[in-house]
Amino acid sequence: MADAQPIQGRGVAARVEAVLSHPVVFSLVFAFALGWVIVYLTGNDPGFAYREMYDGAITGSGLRNTLGRAVPIVGMALAVSVAFRAGVINLGGEGQMVMGGLAGSLVAIYTPGPGEIVIPLAMIVGGLTGALWAMLPAFGQTRLRLPILITSLLLNYVARAVTGYLVRFHFLDDSVTLTSTQQVPQTARMPRLPVFGGVSLSLVLVILAVAVAWVVYRRTVAGYETQMAGFNGRFARYGGIQVERQTVGVMVVAGAIGGVIGTHMIIGDAYRFIDGELVVSGLAWTGLLVALLAANHPPMILVAGLLFSGLQIGGLAMQRNADVSWRLAQVLQALVIVAVASRLAFDLFRRRRRGPTSGELESAGVGEV
Amino acid sequence: MFDQLFDAALLESVVRAMVPILLAALGGMICERAGVFQIAMEGMMLAGAFAAMAGSYLAVSSGLGIVFGVTAGVLISLMLAFGTVSRQGDPIVLGIALNLMALGLTGFLLPQIFGVRGTFRHERIDGLDRLPIPGLSEIPWIGPVLFDQTILGYLAFLLVPAIWLLLFRTPVGLRLRGVGERPLAAESLGVSPTAYKYGAVIASGVLSGLAGTQLALGNLVLFAEGMSAGRGWVAVVAVMLGRAHPFAVFGASLLFAFAEGLGFRLQGNGLPVQITDALPFLVTLIALIAARKRFARLLDLTTGG
Repeated sequence: MADAQPIQGRGVAARVEAVLSHPVVFSLVFAFALGWVIVYLTGNDPGFAYREMYDGAITGSGLRNTLGRAVPIVGMALAVSVAFRAGVINLGGEGQMVMGGLAGSLVAIYTPGPGEIVIPLAMIVGGLTGALWAMLPAFGQTRLRLPILITSLLLNYVARAVTGYLVRFHFLDDSVTLTSTQQVPQTARMPRLPVFGGVSLSLVLVILAVAVAWVVYRRTVAGYETQMAGFNGRFARYGGIQVERQTVGVMVVAGAIGGVIGTHMIIGDAYRFIDGELVVSGLAWTGLLVALLAANHPPMILVAGLLFSGLQIGGLAMQRNADVSWRLAQVLQALVIVAVASRLAFDLFRRRRRGPTSGELESAGVGEV
Repeated sequence: MFDQLFDAALLESVVRAMVPILLAALGGMICERAGVFQIAMEGMMLAGAFAAMAGSYLAVSSGLGIVFGVTAGVLISLMLAFGTVSRQGDPIVLGIALNLMALGLTGFLLPQIFGVRGTFRHERIDGLDRLPIPGLSEIPWIGPVLFDQTILGYLAFLLVPAIWLLLFRTPVGLRLRGVGERPLAAESLGVSPTAYKYGAVIASGVLSGLAGTQLALGNLVLFAEGMSAGRGWVAVVAVMLGRAHPFAVFGASLLFAFAEGLGFRLQGNGLPVQITDALPFLVTLIALIAARKRFARLLDLTTGG
């Protein structure tokens, strides 16, 4: 939405207004302003809290942690974008991540052998499990005409129960008080790179995945066809695209990414599968919000993912130092999307002008969803 | 085996499980009739539960709890109505974002205001009293099950026929359904779709807020993070299964509540909690498969054909 013509001779105020009237920028400002009020009303100093949040996200070990948390957030956002672009409303990311995460970590825990073999094997098994779990709602929609929106979401609760049961009754580590599996052995852990104080190799894999997605979305037939189906399913079907097969395809890819990310969270981060941990973290849902904010655009997913990751890591520092719960980060993330989806920016800035052109209106919506 | 499972106590827990689901589903149904796609009940319910607990704690009175619970539901419903009706935003995106906002905000306010994480219990939190109806509540089996409810329990059951009357026997109901089915025709007859859609969404805010109040002050007397636990989504399915008809939505809510109550009972009989927790969702999925011919509209909405 960048203005095509440079703003001439209208000074700083006009420039500020031009930036602010961008729907995403405006929504971010809106969310942080409302967050300011919330922190103030609950009896804390918002300026101090935000400063701690900012410092915590990028200074000290903050930068490494922000990059580390961006791995699952960007990954899950990518998984969501694969489906959303094609008009498939997959809300089952959490279940796909949890199921894949348990399967992958069990492989890593119980398979003997060198890491060069066990780690890829765990990723593959995790990805396959996530893909299989995602196929349930996919076939539910194509064969039984059950909306994926509902079935994929309900299956999240089933996945919580299944993994909770398996960990509690079959793979429990008795030596700890947690409901948890054994630890992943040293050899089967995702290696760390000697940059930024030791970020996981998975970060490189996720960036590669973003690059691959960008190429696939822009340069391949599959990328074009899925986007067409997302714009207009009826038209795509008329144009000869097999929408049913495509629905299953994008769900398999989304589920596989979810499963791989779930596996990474165990073999590259927590080193044991603790019941409920992946659910409570809300990573799958943060990923979904990132995909919405980035309108499924891969490089923007990277940017938005880093931003939301920084919010959460900075939020933890804010909780430690300013006594303001990190959950404020979740509130801010959701508020940004509420503001974007409600097209708040137009209300304040467009009225005084000639009115938006139709092109501007389209690009501001979350139309790709 | 069955003697041990099916008794009055089971029916009681079924009815208890049913009240929040039914209240939320009735609100979702009104939105569906007005042509607003409503999936924010989960968040409204959770916000309602938190606010009801907070209000009851503040005044040591469940009355203020109800007021706070309704207010929280209405506030979120106003955001939804503004976004979907006034700004024509995507109802699915807004619904998901508002659900997550409610989850984050209640998780934020709990430690900030009450200084605890996870679960908050306190003697100041005044629960909703049970109001047994003299005479009727002494009927064996049925009495304690149906005539020993909280005020919200009675309200939920009375609302089923009341909303049916409203929707199908009053001009307001006719206009509301007209707005949902033929918005242009309704508008040309002088009925404002905006006003009716706002009304429907706010009504669902009230009802979901009450559902949350019943959770935090009726079924339990505490607040726990994420305590709506998917019930708002089950309510979405109840509206779908019941084709937005009050008595059918009542039936669907009863089915899901039965699964929840039965799960609770089986847990008492030694089945792992992980399995019984999944029971309502499994029953919901099976019911969806059994009634699968009914979802053409939602499918059109989410796949474009």
